[in-house]
Amino acid sequence: MISPIHIITIGLGVAFALGFVNKKAKNFSATIMLVAIGLMGAISVAWLTALLQGAETVQIFTAGFKPPYSINLMMGIHEAFLTTLINVAGLLGGLYLLQSLKNAGNHAIMVFLVFIMGLNVIIMTRDAFNLFVFMEVVSIATAGLIILTETGKSIQAGFKYMLATGIIAGILLLGIIFAYYFSGTLNIDSLAEANITTLKGGSVAVLMILVSIILELKPFPANGWALDVYEASNPGISAMLSAASATALYFVLFKVLAIANENWYHILTVAGMLTFIGSNLLGIKQNKARRLLGYSSVGQMGLLMAILGLKPILGDKLEFIAATILVSHYLAKAGLFWLAGIVENDNIKNWSALRRKPILLVLFGTFLFVLIGFPPFPSFYGKWELIMQLSSNQHYYVLALILLGSFLEGIYLFRWLGYAIKMDFETLPELNINWNKIIPPVLFGVLVYVAGYFTSALVPELSALNYIPLLFIAGIYFIDSLPAYIKNTVAIIGMSIYGYQILPPLYENDMLRFIFAAIFIGGGILTLTAGYAYKGKRSGFYPVALLMYAGLAYIIQATNTLEFFFGWELMTAGSYFLIIRGKKSMPHGLSYMLFSIAGAYAILAGFGLSFAGTGTYNLSSLAGISSNITIIFSLLAIGFMTKTASLGLHIWLPGAHAEAESDVSPMVSAILLKAGVFGLLLLIINMGHNTETAQIGYILGWLGALTALVGNLAAAFQEDAKRLLAYSSIAQLGYILFALAMMSHLGLLTAMYYSINHFLYKAILFLTIGAVVMRVGTHMMYKMGGLIKNMPLAFIAVLIGIIALSGVPPLSGFGGKWLLYNAILAKGWYLQGAMVLFSGIIAFLYLFKLIYSVFLGQMKDNLRHVKDISIWFAIPVYILIIGIMIISAKPEWVLQPLGDMISQWYPNAALAWNGGLATGPYGYWNGNGIMITVGIMFVSLATWLWMMSRKAVQVKQFNIVYSAEAPQRPETTHISYNIYAGYNKALGWIVAPKITAFWDTMTEWIHSLAQYVRQLYSGNGQLYAIYVLAYIVVVYFTMIF
Amino acid sequence: MDFELKRLGFTLLGLLIVLNWGLLMGAAMRKIGARVGKRYGIPWFQPWINLVKNYAIRTSLSHGIMFYLGPVFRLSGGIGLFLFMPMIIGSQLWLNYSFQGDLVLIMYFQFFGMLGMALGAGEGGHPYSAIGISRGLSQFTTIELPLTLAIISIAIQYDTLSIIEIVQAQQGGFMNWTVFTNPVATIAAMLSLLGVLSHSPFNLVIAPNENPIGPPTEYHGSFLGVLQTNRAILHVVEAALFMNLFFGGATNWFEFFAKTFLIYFWSVFVGVVFPRFRIEQSVSWFLKVPLVIGVLAVILYM
Amino acid sequence: MEYIALGTGMLVILAGLWAIMTRKNLIRIIIGFSLFDTGIHLVLVAISYVKGGTAPILDSTVCIQDAAQRIVDPVPQALVLTAIVIGLGVTALMLAFAMKMHKEKGTLDIRSFKDLKW
Repeated sequence: MISPIHIITIGLGVAFALGFVNKKAKNFSATIMLVAIGLMGAISVAWLTALLQGAETVQIFTAGFKPPYSINLMMGIHEAFLTTLINVAGLLGGLYLLQSLKNAGNHAIMVFLVFIMGLNVIIMTRDAFNLFVFMEVVSIATAGLIILTETGKSIQAGFKYMLATGIIAGILLLGIIFAYYFSGTLNIDSLAEANITTLKGGSVAVLMILVSIILELKPFPANGWALDVYEASNPGISAMLSAASATALYFVLFKVLAIANENWYHILTVAGMLTFIGSNLLGIKQNKARRLLGYSSVGQMGLLMAILGLKPILGDKLEFIAATILVSHYLAKAGLFWLAGIVENDNIKNWSALRRKPILLVLFGTFLFVLIGFPPFPSFYGKWELIMQLSSNQHYYVLALILLGSFLEGIYLFRWLGYAIKMDFETLPELNINWNKIIPPVLFGVLVYVAGYFTSALVPELSALNYIPLLFIAGIYFIDSLPAYIKNTVAIIGMSIYGYQILPPLYENDMLRFIFAAIFIGGGILTLTAGYAYKGKRSGFYPVALLMYAGLAYIIQATNTLEFFFGWELMTAGSYFLIIRGKKSMPHGLSYMLFSIAGAYAILAGFGLSFAGTGTYNLSSLAGISSNITIIFSLLAIGFMTKTASLGLHIWLPGAHAEAESDVSPMVSAILLKAGVFGLLLLIINMGHNTETAQIGYILGWLGALTALVGNLAAAFQEDAKRLLAYSSIAQLGYILFALAMMSHLGLLTAMYYSINHFLYKAILFLTIGAVVMRVGTHMMYKMGGLIKNMPLAFIAVLIGIIALSGVPPLSGFGGKWLLYNAILAKGWYLQGAMVLFSGIIAFLYLFKLIYSVFLGQMKDNLRHVKDISIWFAIPVYILIIGIMIISAKPEWVLQPLGDMISQWYPNAALAWNGGLATGPYGYWNGNGIMITVGIMFVSLATWLWMMSRKAVQVKQFNIVYSAEAPQRPETTHISYNIYAGYNKALGWIVAPKITAFWDTMTEWIHSLAQYVRQLYSGNGQLYAIYVLAYIVVVYFTMIF
Repeated sequence: MDFELKRLGFTLLGLLIVLNWGLLMGAAMRKIGARVGKRYGIPWFQPWINLVKNYAIRTSLSHGIMFYLGPVFRLSGGIGLFLFMPMIIGSQLWLNYSFQGDLVLIMYFQFFGMLGMALGAGEGGHPYSAIGISRGLSQFTTIELPLTLAIISIAIQYDTLSIIEIVQAQQGGFMNWTVFTNPVATIAAMLSLLGVLSHSPFNLVIAPNENPIGPPTEYHGSFLGVLQTNRAILHVVEAALFMNLFFGGATNWFEFFAKTFLIYFWSVFVGVVFPRFRIEQSVSWFLKVPLVIGVLAVILYM
Repeated sequence: MEYIALGTGMLVILAGLWAIMTRKNLIRIIIGFSLFDTGIHLVLVAISYVKGGTAPILDSTVCIQDAAQRIVDPVPQALVLTAIVIGLGVTALMLAFAMKMHKEKGTLDIRSFKDLKW
């Protein structure tokens, strides 16, 4: 095995030797540099493999003396791992910077090599003074690189950097010399043993050492210099600073922390959290890409610092948590800075330029999701473990702050992603891409998935996870260049096989999950069928659609909270990309994502608390929770209600559903919303039997009723057909929430029946209306009219859909109303029940408006020749209609097994079945008989009237009784716009957008706060130096008191 | 099987009785209205003349398939309500097909005809039809709210949603009628009834004294005949619903005629006294006094 | 004696910091920075001073056995040498930055280099 000291000798030696190389042989020098870094990396990797296989940690003593008489280095598992990271980053970063380095000359090449070498030493050394020297070496090298590869304002930034790090280094040196004075040693391990914090002056020495290392990690607000450097230097350098330097310095803090006492853990936690929250808050107001990355970078280091501060409670989990988050940050931040160098445009709105090369967009999205901590990336597992540990140790404030900070980070990262996906890029200049600039980010992009896979292998709770769907999605991505119909077929086949595998066992064992799985997978196949209507490639559609369905399937199959959350996040990611595909969906995608993240964090916190209470991740253990029931239930319910879009959390839905593509709307409406229902159902069957949850249930009941009322009322006042349907979904989910909240047998039965029905008719309506929109090219109902003549297929589908939705007998919706009446009476929720029933009647307003404005009334001249809806939309629609007919005629086929299933948890079997006749506690209902009676009557009357009117003459469009005038223009004759003006006058105040206004105000406040706080960073380097000193003083006084 | 046929026969007979009673009652009410307004009014047989005339008209125009299906829906709605409504308690044969569904079915089957008619009129393409429908639907939503509350109230009171059981519980003297045992719910429901039967002041939907307006604007001939048939049936059935729920039901046809006449007369009585409301006025009105009374009716039983 | 050195060192550090925090001219700031460095070096040397000790060189006057009592601690002296070298490098680099900054804006006032902020 090669001694680790050769990492230094190679680095230093080659750097010196390069001084003798002919100045013009730049290619040669650069190659030598890369080879040298490669060799250094090879040594690290060799040690890493050896140590992983059980080799002993080695100490290297220079000059043949033992410490304190000599400098010593250490090569353990941490050092090997981190130097590997540094050298890999160095190799790829060097490659990336190739042109800049060569342009800057041989000096720059040497400096770069020294920089990487210095970082290696910082990691390996166990000597305090040596640490100082190489921190200075790295600092000077950094400044040198900034000045050598100068870009625009980088000089100013470099000066501020030198000023700040110079002061920090001075303080560090003072601290080291005092520590030496009190302990007589410079070796970090001996210093730790000397326990100098117990001495009066010794604690000052420790203070100076630790505070300067903390300052090197750029704590808020003493970090203006770092932000400037991130913003202004060559992105390749910023990548190195953010990925390599920060990693090395973090490890310095890790090892030097041994000399401190436990007070320092608090300080680290506070400093870290302050940085995490502070910089993420300021990031919200930032629109320059690289500075934004700087804020994010600083914030992530703050989080890591706080994690280190939490060492006493994280115990042996610390390394896993810190390593996953550190590696994620390392890969993602380097990748993002490298992308910043490729985009060469600092306005985040112009990052749509990435779309010129779709692989770059994929990388960009990947890195952002890594930063936020989505599965399957390492940070996901780290954050999960962190939250679990925090909550089992009752550190609720830190937990809440971490989630808050992550949420703030989500705001700007996803806004940025939205810009990249949606903003116009045609006007932006072509990207200037060299091979050496593209390889590093691509490699890191691949690495991050690999790292995620290996991390998941370390988590025992995920051992049962089936990776085949994810691999299948990756496969679909690789055939993205094929035409849509091929990918559609592959996707449908894949989902069918998957459904064939998971559905039959669920049918045998678990009816609840079977029904949801059937909705998710069956609905998935049906909605994908509509995809055949699309021509071309439909780039990027299939991976994300399948990702959503895979997430949904994982949720169904989850047996523990981690698997559930894993699926939940995948589903969120997939649906986000689906939603944002719509033409005007950028803001809606963002608000969807933000509500989803916030909801996911509520779920995460809830799972954390339940883990704290039960000590297990098992989903069924939710039933055994005995403490914090109210909070856990509320957190989880709020999380799930962001997906069911209950009142207050609903504002994302109308836009997201309305602006989505025609076949995406049913996916995210009829299917996706059921994920929230499934979550709530799980929650209620497990936790619904407590007195505390019954009280929350009462509140949820009112909330559901209000959601139903407001949703339906708002739907009645829409002019946009898809928005109308979206509000209708909100209301329908309000019914379901109301029914679930009853926590009774009939309540759950009603909710399940409504869920199935809502899936059927909302899929029919959204698919049909979506297909109509594809033909007519507008969502606005008043621009349509009279389409029944051109689109009989669509008309019949919508007619069936609205009859089923409205609850008019004999179709399936009536069963829901009947169950609702019985459930309300049995539960005794009369007033809220009346409100729900009232909103059910309001539904007639929008249903009539929908079908009338689109299909009846006067046809517009420009639509005279539109064709009926695409056959690929009609097929799934008519399959769903068959489903509605079956449920309407044979409700017992669905309701009886559902009743048996619910009896497991709520045993009073409330319905007695006698063939098709259901007898409830209050009334009776024979779906089958009603269907036959109404059918016979309707057909006989229709025949009779046809006999009488069969000679009727078909008249032209304007041949109507019109008080002596001749109506000429359909636009003035088709009454549709604001058709319920009178109703609006009377009741419109209920749907005044107060909730949207509330969230807008919140947004405004956060932005104003960020704007106010960020004026700290005035741009004056001197001020930044003052901040640094003030930081030291503040920490000093904190230590004293 | 024999019984099924017999039931069908009696149901059809009942339908015939109800139709004619509805026509007669309609004529009587118009006569009363005319006399209050110091006019002579129509002859009592005018509705039959209208029906025969309309069914006999030979010229006929159609705007399309939905236009033709509208009246079919409408009449199916009326006859369906009749089918699911028990008429005379005490005889299995006059209970029609009410064994297939309870009060909830009646409540929601009201919409069957309304929705179909709205669609049919919609295809007529006349703007006044659409205006009429939008007003009708707006008004109907709020009419239903006090009624729903009243129904919840009596469902709690009688612990059932079955109309037959509700009627049976009211037997044995008029003091057992809901109107006396639960007057608050009855008041709420009777106020709703004014809207259900859409007489003045809640008749803006069809507004008979102005230009032709409302859903039937484009309908004529046999289409209009069907609608008139339905109107006659529907009014009797609605009155029968209130009779069953609040006034002890009927054990024979004479009681049926008397009670439905009085219930129907209530709306006419109010109609001739009060002028017509605009749509936002009627919407607001139903959400004030009747709503409060309805809530009170429920709270009393909570 | 060592307290005088220590005290002087501290004063020089403070003077340097004062210059860094209040002077507006880049060169003056850099001078302040040099003062700060020098003060630290003084403190370093003062701390390691042993009263009456000689230079830490093993020769005829100092034998190995009693070296620990008679010589000043050699480690800080070694450190201070390194620190001086580093300080030199930093100062030189800062001056290079100042030069480029002057070339860019024609001024040395640190307040006019606020292009990067927020």
